[in-house]
Amino acid sequence: MSAFVPLKRVFDWKIRGVRWIEIIGLALVAAMIFSVYLAKAAAASQGARIASLERQITQNGQRVRLLRAEAARLEQPARLEALSREAGLGPVDVHRQATVAGLPDLAPIPEPTPVVIVAPTIPAEPAAEEPQAEATAVTEDAQ
Amino acid sequence: MSVHDDPHAWQRPAPGRPGGGVSMPSWRWLSEAMWRIEHSFGRARADARPEEDTRVRIFVILTLFSAVFVCLALGAVNAALLAPKGGVWSGGHPNAVSRADMVDRTGALLATNIIHYGLYIDPAEVWDRRAAAVRIKRALPRVSMSRLNRVLSGDRRLIVMPGLTPAERAAVHGLALGGVSFEPEDRRVYPLGASATHVLGVADTGGQGITGAELAFNREIREAGARGESFPLSIDLRVQGVLENELAQAVADSQAKGAVGIIADVQTGEILGMASWPTSDRLNRAASAHYEMGSVFKTFTVAAGLDTGRADMNTLFDASEAFMIGKRRITDFHATNQVLTLEEVYLHSSNIGTSRLAVEMGPTVMQDYFKRFGLLDAAPVELHESARPRRPSKWDDSTLASLSFGYGIMITPLQMTAAMGALTNGGRFIPLTLRKGGRPNADVRQVVSPETSLTLLDLLRRNVVRGSGGRADAPGLRVGGKTGSANKLVNGRYDPTHAVGTFAAVFPADGPVDARRYSILILIDEPGSYPRTGGFVAAPAVGRIADRIAPFLGVERRADQYRTALGEKIPAFEDVEGDGR
Repeated sequence: MSAFVPLKRVFDWKIRGVRWIEIIGLALVAAMIFSVYLAKAAAASQGARIASLERQITQNGQRVRLLRAEAARLEQPARLEALSREAGLGPVDVHRQATVAGLPDLAPIPEPTPVVIVAPTIPAEPAAEEPQAEATAVTEDAQ
Repeated sequence: MSVHDDPHAWQRPAPGRPGGGVSMPSWRWLSEAMWRIEHSFGRARADARPEEDTRVRIFVILTLFSAVFVCLALGAVNAALLAPKGGVWSGGHPNAVSRADMVDRTGALLATNIIHYGLYIDPAEVWDRRAAAVRIKRALPRVSMSRLNRVLSGDRRLIVMPGLTPAERAAVHGLALGGVSFEPEDRRVYPLGASATHVLGVADTGGQGITGAELAFNREIREAGARGESFPLSIDLRVQGVLENELAQAVADSQAKGAVGIIADVQTGEILGMASWPTSDRLNRAASAHYEMGSVFKTFTVAAGLDTGRADMNTLFDASEAFMIGKRRITDFHATNQVLTLEEVYLHSSNIGTSRLAVEMGPTVMQDYFKRFGLLDAAPVELHESARPRRPSKWDDSTLASLSFGYGIMITPLQMTAAMGALTNGGRFIPLTLRKGGRPNADVRQVVSPETSLTLLDLLRRNVVRGSGGRADAPGLRVGGKTGSANKLVNGRYDPTHAVGTFAAVFPADGPVDARRYSILILIDEPGSYPRTGGFVAAPAVGRIADRIAPFLGVERRADQYRTALGEKIPAFEDVEGDGR
């Protein structure tokens, strides 16, 4: 029975004949009810927001479907062909077709022309920019 | 003790009346048990153990309530933490529709569901009915005026017109009339209009497929719609578009009554394009119309001859004079009047030669091979429209001769595509399919040997470079094919003014048997221009189609032994005859 002694003390701890343990319990219950209420209210507002977002998604989805259908209608093969024939377009003749592999034959890559670097007249003793400026001046003179 | 009942009464049985009322043993047992529990408190006190008994009661009640509350708490925790996500706020998938969008193999839209609106009017809320009618008619020209007036002069809310497009709804809504309301309705829309209409078919307003792929894949389309996915078909819209445009061009050139075009992948059986002209006709000629196809059948006769070992390319057939079967005289359209090898028989499209071969092989072999090529059964494809062929009733020599060059049997163009596929893919008969990626666990059977298939591919190619199919060649694409020209049976006799011109092609015809290869079938029904043969009415369209779809299919232009990559002749091979028969 010695184990129940502290428990008994807790139950005997009273104020004006009311057990403290009951007061604390009630306060805890009240706090819990309030927090549950807060959580529920927050959840409800989130739920409403989710519902409105989902409604929006559905509406946007409908709109996307509508636009896709409209795009598909405008891209009907028969319509595209009629339009391109009207514009004077047609299938490309085989002699004017080329593959990537055939490109070098059509337009050979030009030989890299040797870059003529004119030697500066004055040996490059001063700053690094100077010889370059010298070089452009020389080419301009050549022209 | 005096305030309590007589202690002896607590041991008494329940105050039932054993004589009358309910006397079932179970009932009596139950009432006795109740009685015992009711009096246990008093009985315990009588036995001088009152506290213990109260504690037991309190403990039992406490346990019961605790158990109930623990259950409730566990349920609440489960609902709060472990419930499936989205299960509370959205019923099913957010993008769910009653029928999935149908798309082609590249994802281009073919059919979709769009919310339409039904127009309802409550006449009691309309101020000026005459003005309302005029304004609605102006905003919505296709509304029936009589229906509109009937609703406006009625006395309750009625539907005026179903299926308003969102634009039409906006126009009517913009009038700001009283009493006008709209109700959404889900409608199947085919944004491509007449394009691919026979492949897609239609679905009714209740969301059930009626024809075409809508019917064939009805269940799967609905399931995909519930998952918010789209349903891909094997069709390639670019290929389909080229096919339709070139078919329309061929029809315009030949002033034909109708036409069919089918493009398929011979290795997988996937249909990449299927068109039936005129598109306004509900009949899908590719799947449901029967034709005697003429000389294209010579391919099957020759294949059977090669595969049985009855003939090879150098076997000789006497075509120097007409072949007599009883009183029937079989002649050639372009008589060569000489002994021909099997190759020449094919390239000259000699009726005499193939008839002799067919009669030599006999009815059992011919029937067996026609069965193997699927010519005696409906084409294996998902479409419910796929019709059974009109088969010959007897298999005598005269019938065999007719069959050998494509008369006496009426098949659908889809059957021809399936059979040509089997001959050009190494001899495997693969059921056709409209499903992207081919049919799962398809029933593939070997019908001819791979060697026969290779020989035929070369023969088909030779027929284009040297024989009747010259107009089907496309530069560098190695097109091989066979022409077919048949007259239709009109009032009991074959009338040369009612013809069917066919070209069954395959490209590229070179390479190993399992190389990527596509078949093109063009059939022109009753061409009005002359000549009406397949080599003139159908072959040019095949060439143009191959030329245009090759880049989409990834077929590269390349030289083979007959032509350069740019389509120039390599001199050793020249046309033997340019009649296009």
